[in-house]
Amino acid sequence: MNKYFIKAQDFETFVTKLVEAKQVIGPVAKKSRFVFEKLKNSKELRLDYDVTVLPPKKEFFPTCQPIVKFEGDKFEGCVNVEEKILFGVHFYDIKALDMTDLLYNENHRDINYMAHREAATIVGSNVQNIAERAFFGTVGVHVKPKGHDAFLTKIDDGYLFETYTDKGEALVSFGTFTKAKKEHESNALDVNNRVMGKCPEVLDYVGYESVANKVRKAFNNTAFWEDCAKDCFSCGSCNIVCPTCYCFDVQDNWNVDQVSGTRTRKWDGCLTEDFAKISLGFGAQENFREKRGDRFRHRIMRKTTYLNAKLGGPACVGCGRCSMSCTSDIADPVNVINKIMEV
Amino acid sequence: MGCHCEENIFVPKEAKIVKAAQVTEREKHFTLKMADGAKFEYAPGQILEVSLMGYGEIPIGLASSPTSSNGTFDIVVRTVGRVSTAINRLEEGGTMLIRGPLGNGFPIDELKGHNVVVVAGGIGLCPTRSLIKYIMDERASFKEFTLLYGARNPEEQMFQDDLKLWRGSSDVCFHEIVDKGNDKWKGKVGVITNLFKEATVKPDSKVVICGPPIMFRFVIRELKKAGVKENNIFLDLERRMKCGVGKCGHCQINDKYVCIDGPVFNYTDLKQLEEAL
Repeated sequence: MNKYFIKAQDFETFVTKLVEAKQVIGPVAKKSRFVFEKLKNSKELRLDYDVTVLPPKKEFFPTCQPIVKFEGDKFEGCVNVEEKILFGVHFYDIKALDMTDLLYNENHRDINYMAHREAATIVGSNVQNIAERAFFGTVGVHVKPKGHDAFLTKIDDGYLFETYTDKGEALVSFGTFTKAKKEHESNALDVNNRVMGKCPEVLDYVGYESVANKVRKAFNNTAFWEDCAKDCFSCGSCNIVCPTCYCFDVQDNWNVDQVSGTRTRKWDGCLTEDFAKISLGFGAQENFREKRGDRFRHRIMRKTTYLNAKLGGPACVGCGRCSMSCTSDIADPVNVINKIMEV
Repeated sequence: MGCHCEENIFVPKEAKIVKAAQVTEREKHFTLKMADGAKFEYAPGQILEVSLMGYGEIPIGLASSPTSSNGTFDIVVRTVGRVSTAINRLEEGGTMLIRGPLGNGFPIDELKGHNVVVVAGGIGLCPTRSLIKYIMDERASFKEFTLLYGARNPEEQMFQDDLKLWRGSSDVCFHEIVDKGNDKWKGKVGVITNLFKEATVKPDSKVVICGPPIMFRFVIRELKKAGVKENNIFLDLERRMKCGVGKCGHCQINDKYVCIDGPVFNYTDLKQLEEAL
């Protein structure tokens, strides 16, 4: 829609006014890492963050989300939506949100996700510092971030603020913005382009279709997958921190009164041992991905091939969270894909 | 902003138990109707997510045919875990919660006008019963109809009334076998593939298979021997269909979700998917 400029010295006042008027979720420091959290004041906001521990999908798809409440024989859905501004989202997380939007909206539209998503305003911000395992410069680069309402880019003496929707445009009234000049725009473009070449990790093969084909062909190379996964603890951390993972389990829990309770969905991960297990009765079970290698392969397939037709690119945005969270340091898609492509 | 009025795919509806019968030691057969009186429309082979609040939800295949159900629909629940145990304590007049019908169901239109063979192992007879009943009700729409049924033992044979009917019917070539007989059992003993020695499976047959995962491979081998084309074989799969709406990921096989792309798949589609069989 429009492009604005806000001076560095006016920026804090802008955020302060926003925080006073709205619920604003932004990156804040937690010890040596960063998390998306409700801002209490503008000083907490850390747009210089590298990556957050959990991706921002948690704002629409909480780790533990009540979906039905019951009391005796009565029950009802519980979609209680709050308007919020998700402020300072990096472009790779915007891409991931766009993917989860599509997946929760298609076929059977899931109001438990979509209602929260539609009530949110998403303001992106440029990557000022790069996470130690990021590789967003070489994965799915043809997939452009979309679905957000506005985007901030830090340039020399202030910020370029681009609005794409009415929700984004509405934020302009909270700050002292002027119309952006051509040089502000070109500076911002330069800042955002430059960061793409600075990732510490690099996929050697950028064409996502050739990666998808080769990874798919490696499906039956059981020895390879078993070797990749030999140190896997099946903890599912790689799933939990992934911005494009959206699997869940559903569990019923009683309250202490033993009359009322909640049906809740909780994040689940395909690396965990029970994920694809069913009971057949007579004490028999069937686990459709019994071996660690099977589960490891499923995740890599899902990130590089299975969803490509729907998403128009890989279901990986190169944030590096899985690599950083993996205890055994085996989850890094860059290592796995580069190895497969070398053969 | 409060509650949303848009349909919530995870909120179930109440179904009344019209009839409940303990058909084997572990399996209970329920006939249900919607508590609000609404007509329940479904196709053979579709599934339901069945639940009780506080216990949880399980996927169950519909066991009746819309052709003869008169507004009611049937499911059979095997007592396995927490949810199924709680459901199987319910009796006539009770209420359970359902979401559905979900999934694609059997390709009825493709089967019409052809010889049809149904191969059901164990509890696999429950979802296939929806098709068997459909075929029996619309018998003129199909050519020869053969049913092969294998159970662990005579006590675990379900739908005794149906079995009696099928044994004596000229509308179906019915063959049955049990893994282990008892004093009263005069029928065949062995694995389900033994039935291929006596049953006539014409090469142009359309075949539907449902049973324990191990059974599929052996039955497909027999079908290939009989000259049945791969694209005429349909498999009704079981997976951990937790949400039933293609979101939760538990039933995923490659890029397919069993709950929305299945549970019935053509063999030619499935054999490309390495984790399917």
